[in-house]
Amino acid sequence: MAAQTATAPARGHPTLPAKCRRCDAPLRSPAVCESCCALFPAPHANYFELLGLPRQYAIDERRLRDAFRSTARSVHPDRFAEQPAEVRALATRLSADVNQAFAVLSDPVRRASYLLEMSGGPSAADMRDVPPDLLAEVMMIREEVELARSSSDAAALQRHRQTILARRSLALQDIAGRAERITVSSDEEKRELRRRLNSMKYFDNLATELAGDPLEQD
Amino acid sequence: MTDDADIIVGIDLGTTNSLVGFSDEAGPRLIPGPAGEDDVLLPSVIAFDENGQVVDVGHEARAHAVERPATTVHSIKRLMGKGLLDLGEDAVRLPYRIGRQESQSDRDVAAVFIGERAFTPPQLSAVILGELKRRAERFFGHPITKAVITVPAQFDDAQRQATRDAGQIAGLNVLRIINEPTAAALAYGLDRHESATIAVYDLGGGTFDISILQLEHGLFEVVATNGDTHLGGDDFDQLLIELFRREIREQFGLDIQSPAIKQQLRTLSENIKKRLSDRDHAEIEITIGADKTYRRTVTRTEFESLIAPLVDRTIEACSRAMKTARLTPADIGQVVLVGGSTRVPYVRRRVGEVFQRQPYTALNPEQVVALGAAVQASILGGARRDLLLLDVTPLSLGIETLGGAMGKLIPANTKIPCRASETFTTFQDGQTKVKIDVLQGERELAKDCRSLGVFELTDIPPMPAGLPKIEVTFLIDQNGILNVSATELRSGQTASVQIIPSHGLTRDEVHRMQKEAIQFAREDMTAHHLIDVRTTLEFDLNKAEQLIRRHGHLLDSDDRDAMLREIADLRPFAKQCTDPKLLNERREAFNRATIPLAERAMTAVLQEAGSKSKA
Repeated sequence: MAAQTATAPARGHPTLPAKCRRCDAPLRSPAVCESCCALFPAPHANYFELLGLPRQYAIDERRLRDAFRSTARSVHPDRFAEQPAEVRALATRLSADVNQAFAVLSDPVRRASYLLEMSGGPSAADMRDVPPDLLAEVMMIREEVELARSSSDAAALQRHRQTILARRSLALQDIAGRAERITVSSDEEKRELRRRLNSMKYFDNLATELAGDPLEQD
Repeated sequence: MTDDADIIVGIDLGTTNSLVGFSDEAGPRLIPGPAGEDDVLLPSVIAFDENGQVVDVGHEARAHAVERPATTVHSIKRLMGKGLLDLGEDAVRLPYRIGRQESQSDRDVAAVFIGERAFTPPQLSAVILGELKRRAERFFGHPITKAVITVPAQFDDAQRQATRDAGQIAGLNVLRIINEPTAAALAYGLDRHESATIAVYDLGGGTFDISILQLEHGLFEVVATNGDTHLGGDDFDQLLIELFRREIREQFGLDIQSPAIKQQLRTLSENIKKRLSDRDHAEIEITIGADKTYRRTVTRTEFESLIAPLVDRTIEACSRAMKTARLTPADIGQVVLVGGSTRVPYVRRRVGEVFQRQPYTALNPEQVVALGAAVQASILGGARRDLLLLDVTPLSLGIETLGGAMGKLIPANTKIPCRASETFTTFQDGQTKVKIDVLQGERELAKDCRSLGVFELTDIPPMPAGLPKIEVTFLIDQNGILNVSATELRSGQTASVQIIPSHGLTRDEVHRMQKEAIQFAREDMTAHHLIDVRTTLEFDLNKAEQLIRRHGHLLDSDDRDAMLREIADLRPFAKQCTDPKLLNERREAFNRATIPLAERAMTAVLQEAGSKSKA
């Protein structure tokens, strides 16, 4: 998943101010100058810009984490504790945005969903459909699980859990492929991505029911 | 060099003990009380007289607990941000009278009644904070107005607000509320170039927290937190108390009602717990009436099986925290123990088992939180730009949805600061106000979660029902405290937000209490100043007497007699005099009068030394 980071470097950064308005140092994030500690409201910055990362689905986890830590460090309100109330309020707001950016971008499903909405695709609230064969598939799995449960077949339950995880993992790979092509996708392709994203919570629920615990992130 | 006037102190406001510290170039350290360098713990106990006047704070107050249980207030932290209905058992167990603060609205704020006076928990905590503030002021010789105060990580919004209000009432600008386990991690000040995952197990007098942190290049990032705000060493004591009371009932057929014996039993139980930390058995002996003495030996094994269910709860919380962090014991590089209750060997053993490693205890578990608060103070002051805390919110925040469910807006363990928005509308034509009940907790139903208060949005432009789009933003700041703002999107107009806290004080009440506290503090200050002058005077008088005994022959007998007379007069005068300024003037005059003798004595000593060295 991490192999694609070198593609299309400048894509999606048309409005990024390259330099700090106060000290002229180059800016990594439009919200903060890491050289003179100036904060900027950056009301229109997207999550990628906020963390100084290219706008694309493929993301290197280590790089994301480092970008988050470095930005979070420079915008945190504790850095501005003795500054006027407006500066502290801005730092608090920017920190909340940076934390939210990291939460969304570090989760493959939320990241794909975010990219989809950025490129004008439907949100989960706009469109609730799922792929047509999903419900039948989920119902079938559920029946098999019930059967295994009623006969207390631990091995079968374990097998079903593996199947669900494998099915989820495949669905996620499919989403990744679609999300990587998002900027060149047709409207129908965008709607299809939304349907696939909507299907993820069915797999998550199944896995949760079976394991009695939240699903491991892959 | 630190700018003296700008010192920020770090305060651990504990259930049992409180401490104050600060940081300088040498690092964090604690500020001692009047009894010397090691006197850093201030028992969180206040002794009142029958009229509700503060008589003593700290050790002296604790010493009065047995004789005057109804006017000695301890464990205030358990009451912070609580309503009378929340308190349950505590309201019965605590020996002083607990009721509800009077208010016009239907809020439920607990209050302690001493004689005719009612004190809210923030007012009581402010007395403790005021004492720590004075300690720091005496140490630095100038006023202290800025502080960092620690709270258990599991404290909810109401408890954090109450803590901040207490600071304000005590005349402190609380720059930051930080979580106790996070503070402890800072105090351990692990090498800033190191990267590590650590677990902090914090079992205090009344609360339990487990936090898991990732450390990297001075960044302390909390990845999960769990715990129980109602579990601590006090509960261990309570189990012993219950055991003894049951046996006393069986043996003597009587139920202990006397508050004094109850308090005595509490003190003895606490001592037994402490003794069992380094011995395998301890004895209790208590006289409960004429010819009725209860004697009993408690073995360590017995104590351990008694507390096992409580310790189990802490161990389960540790497992939950690891699960949230998606970590196994093998991923945790170090386990740090914090809080006086981690001195119990059984607790150490169980923590060692769940994390599969020996816990680390290089620092005093009772002092580490205050030291961490002092480190945080230096971060805020700009002296430690290499360090930073990134914490999480311990509880989910939400609103009641249709059908009475809890609609989560911000889940537990979200990094803070964080925010979430929700759009609301009106149900009646021309409606200009909307009320939102905000909840905190992990339960599915709104009624099982805790209500933080009602946020009333006003100034909504009048429009037909359902047309306004009011975007409400819930922001949890770095202190874990909620801030709410609202905008009507169609008009772009900002709505005003008034908060009616369910279990807390309104801004007006805090301001009023702050004013009252300042007057109160002035009386207090006089009393303290008077004690200081009396102590110094006594020291000066003793010194003068010694001088007269050794070197009195160097003076005319008239001068010597005058001096002795003055000493004899000053002693009773010091006891009667209530004006510290006047007393200090007499002290200074006396010292000036002793100067000629001191000089002659010095000359004599030097001559003697000179003649000896020649010989």
